[in-house]
Amino acid sequence: MNTIAALEQAEKLLTPWTKEAVRPEPNRLDVTIAGLDLYACAAALKQEPWGYLSAITGLDLGLEVGELETLYHFCEGAAITTLRVRLLRQGGSVPTLYPLFPVASFFERELSEMFGIEVTGTPDPSRLFIPDDWPVNVYPLLKDFDPKVVQPRQADSPRSFQPQDGQTFYVPIGPQHPALKEPGHFEFTVDGEVIVGARMRLGYVHRGIEKATESQNWVQNLYLLERVCGICSHTHATAYVLGVERLAGVETPPRAQAIRELIAGLERIHSHLLWLGVSAHEAGFDTLFMYSWRDRETVMDILENLSGNRVNYSANIIGGVKFDIYPEHAKTIRQGLDFLEERIRHYLDIVTTDILFLQRTRGIGRISREEAAHLGLLGPTARASGVVRDVRIEAPYGPYSHYPVSIVTSEAGDLEARFVVRLKELFVTINTIRVIMDNLPESDLSVRVPRRIPAGETISRVEAPRGEVFYFIKSDGTDRPERIKVRTPSLCNWTAVLSKAVGSQLADAPLLIAGMDPCFSCNDRMITVKRLDGK
Amino acid sequence: MMFSALKPILQILIFPAGLFLVASGIVVEWIDRKLVARLQNRVGPRWFQILADIVKLLAKEEILPSAANPWLFIGLPMIALAGCMTAALYVPLMGLSPAYSFSGDLIVTLYLLSLLTLSKGLAGWNTSSRFSLVGATRGLTQLFAYEAPFLLALLGPAIVAGSWQIDVIMQRNSSSWIILTQPIGFLVALIGLMGKLELPPFDAPEAETEIVAGAMTDYSGRGLAIFNIAKSVEFVIGLTLVAAFYLGGLNNPLEYLLKTFFILVVLIGLQTLLTRLRIDQTVGLWWRYGAILVLIQWMILIIWKESILL
Amino acid sequence: MNAQWMPIFEKLKTWARVNSPWAIHFNSGSCNGCDIEILATLTPRYDLERFGVKLQGSPRHADILICTGPVTRQARERLLRTYEQMPEPRFVVAVGSCAISSGAFQNCYNVIGSIDEVIPVDAYIPGCPPRPEAIIDGLVKLLQHVSSSSKMEIAK
Repeated sequence: MNTIAALEQAEKLLTPWTKEAVRPEPNRLDVTIAGLDLYACAAALKQEPWGYLSAITGLDLGLEVGELETLYHFCEGAAITTLRVRLLRQGGSVPTLYPLFPVASFFERELSEMFGIEVTGTPDPSRLFIPDDWPVNVYPLLKDFDPKVVQPRQADSPRSFQPQDGQTFYVPIGPQHPALKEPGHFEFTVDGEVIVGARMRLGYVHRGIEKATESQNWVQNLYLLERVCGICSHTHATAYVLGVERLAGVETPPRAQAIRELIAGLERIHSHLLWLGVSAHEAGFDTLFMYSWRDRETVMDILENLSGNRVNYSANIIGGVKFDIYPEHAKTIRQGLDFLEERIRHYLDIVTTDILFLQRTRGIGRISREEAAHLGLLGPTARASGVVRDVRIEAPYGPYSHYPVSIVTSEAGDLEARFVVRLKELFVTINTIRVIMDNLPESDLSVRVPRRIPAGETISRVEAPRGEVFYFIKSDGTDRPERIKVRTPSLCNWTAVLSKAVGSQLADAPLLIAGMDPCFSCNDRMITVKRLDGK
Repeated sequence: MMFSALKPILQILIFPAGLFLVASGIVVEWIDRKLVARLQNRVGPRWFQILADIVKLLAKEEILPSAANPWLFIGLPMIALAGCMTAALYVPLMGLSPAYSFSGDLIVTLYLLSLLTLSKGLAGWNTSSRFSLVGATRGLTQLFAYEAPFLLALLGPAIVAGSWQIDVIMQRNSSSWIILTQPIGFLVALIGLMGKLELPPFDAPEAETEIVAGAMTDYSGRGLAIFNIAKSVEFVIGLTLVAAFYLGGLNNPLEYLLKTFFILVVLIGLQTLLTRLRIDQTVGLWWRYGAILVLIQWMILIIWKESILL
Repeated sequence: MNAQWMPIFEKLKTWARVNSPWAIHFNSGSCNGCDIEILATLTPRYDLERFGVKLQGSPRHADILICTGPVTRQARERLLRTYEQMPEPRFVVAVGSCAISSGAFQNCYNVIGSIDEVIPVDAYIPGCPPRPEAIIDGLVKLLQHVSSSSKMEIAK
């Protein structure tokens, strides 16, 4: 079903509750509804089924208007339907969408703590990203937030949650833990070696980037947003500049677009190899960790050759890219790719045939396709369960219409499938890079973009190595953005970990966490208590 | 006469136990880390690395966890080391006759070697950190798993030699290489040694990415150093035993060095190739395959011995 | 006789500490860039084990705390606790621009500041992120400093 048809279908579905329907962009439908009708609308969309809940954005419309607005973004292919609900600045509330879309719980927690909006019926009202010692009733993303109100406390901050009753034995993992390269806190209640309950506290890497973007200009924000995550920095930058260029109404030159996709491909290679090594290390297979990272150096060298830095290569500028691919580069890239292809083949072989490794991955953490779709999983984690979800294919952006990629899925849904899907994706990526290099169009590298970006709202969806990255960008016509909302894939994938952890062995926990390729720094710019006995 | 009184002391402090043992432990550990690094395509530690590690640990501040019993905390590492050192007195180190020998010393030696795992288990329980507890539990679980098959595998050559005395077993088997007649037993003994030493794939008790450092999480400084030394010493003794029994005895230092080195290399190779197993998989592996294999080996042995006697 | 032996002991201790620096890594809010470069130093191309550096899991086993990232409010206490758990002698290395000065995140509300506002830092390795070679260089410089400053103490 193509985009226009999808939007029409959505509009028809929502007619009973529509207060106002607008098409701000060819692929977007904005429907304003009343807060009370929210659940009914979401249910109607889910029933059809029309799309999945991709993100929830909160907007502060300003002190003069005196209202907040919550936006619920549903994506079906390239079509995006946004339900808009207006709320009072204080005391506004919306019903939870958790029963329909479990992933909504995370988004809603973020909404509450950032804007002070109450979400009724939510299963977990605790803080997601905001630290424990943050004063109550101070909401960072409101326009009248004053940072001076929050002074860092000198005393010990209270524990994020109280330890469970004395009978249960719990094993904390993180925030300082060899398994986690980033801080995050997991508490697994164990009975012997079996996990019977899992809780999670994020927010250790929450820096407050979204708020910071409102006080910096468009160019400065590029450098800030690149550093949301060091591993997928190009993806964030791409999502940002695509949105800004769309608002500015400029057409990025074809060569720049092709180079963007090429770098994205290289980034995917480095990210998946990194993940392979780290997961192997979690499983106790250090040799694979060493070998895969040694081979990863090849792609790091290529990136350094092109951009000057191994990480945070900063390829994008608003309007194009910074550097070109010269023939000498092309040769190095091809040689590197040939080498990597052979090595990845070898790793795929290991991952699928090494008996002991399979003991740790086959059949573990299995998520069925229905469950994966229901939980709102994204990226390779979802594709390993057979869910066809890849923004590059469903909603090709920028160069992906010229240089398409094919999707890689697996039906098995277990840890092994996640390994296989990621490695096979790399073959597709390598081939795509070769195609791009063979067909690099001649053009400028960038185009001028005005300092002030015209007012408007846009949505940018880009496929990071971990899944769909969702950017909502609102400009008020000045040289600073009014609001930038970043929703990263790892946030949606946490449900996978927690739902599978319960009932598994403690030893599987690090691999389960690693299997979804978590990126805390991506999602923290932000708790499920689930016990086998049902509490 | 003076010398005979001094002799045991020298034997305990210098050779074969004591300094010599610690030194060989250091060498073995260095070879282990260096070879593992090389197999992983890295350069690896410098020759004096292990020595530096030990001295540094001894010089580090020891933090006594408040919840732990101080006597146990300080005493357990020493018990572990003492056990291993004593075991060394009955084993043909350097290809020379064991310092002491009596009938049944095979069993005693193996029990002394288990003191290390038991001490670690107790130490883990003592420090009452969650990770230590899980690590200690895993270590003890693993002990129940591999100990029986390992012992039985070592008893294979004992049956052939008709004795339970290490020295005697070695002498009587020095002409024949048991590895050829009892290959299954050798395999079980080798893997059993890996389990005993908690080498990957059986390093669940110390799984860094799961339980930080297992039973050793709250040890620092001296205690850690002594536990580490005890572990390398156990490595040496384990190698010696397996080499002595299965590779045709250790009659002189050269044979000793070559044969133990050979087994060491095999173990290191296996270590690098294999992923860590979950504790339930380890136990499952041992009770299913390990025990059955060694029992098969025994059956063959007993039938063969009977047929010869007849 | 003790006085004669002490300097030798001290030299031995310093030598051991400089040559066996076990490290522990803590991320107090970093974007991961520095962390992956730190991990890269353990891999074959850079191999920190040559210098005796082993990455430990428990703070009690470590001599050097390698920190990355600007300190976020939530992470602050954990950083402190990790530092306190390390037995003496201990050193802290701050890796990356964020660890030194909050880097790109200076305007962010949840960032308290740089690492040296929370714990004392002995070495700063700048970069965004610093290359693995730079990290190794920084560590080696720290070790050289430790070694030479102890020599001066003994000579006194």
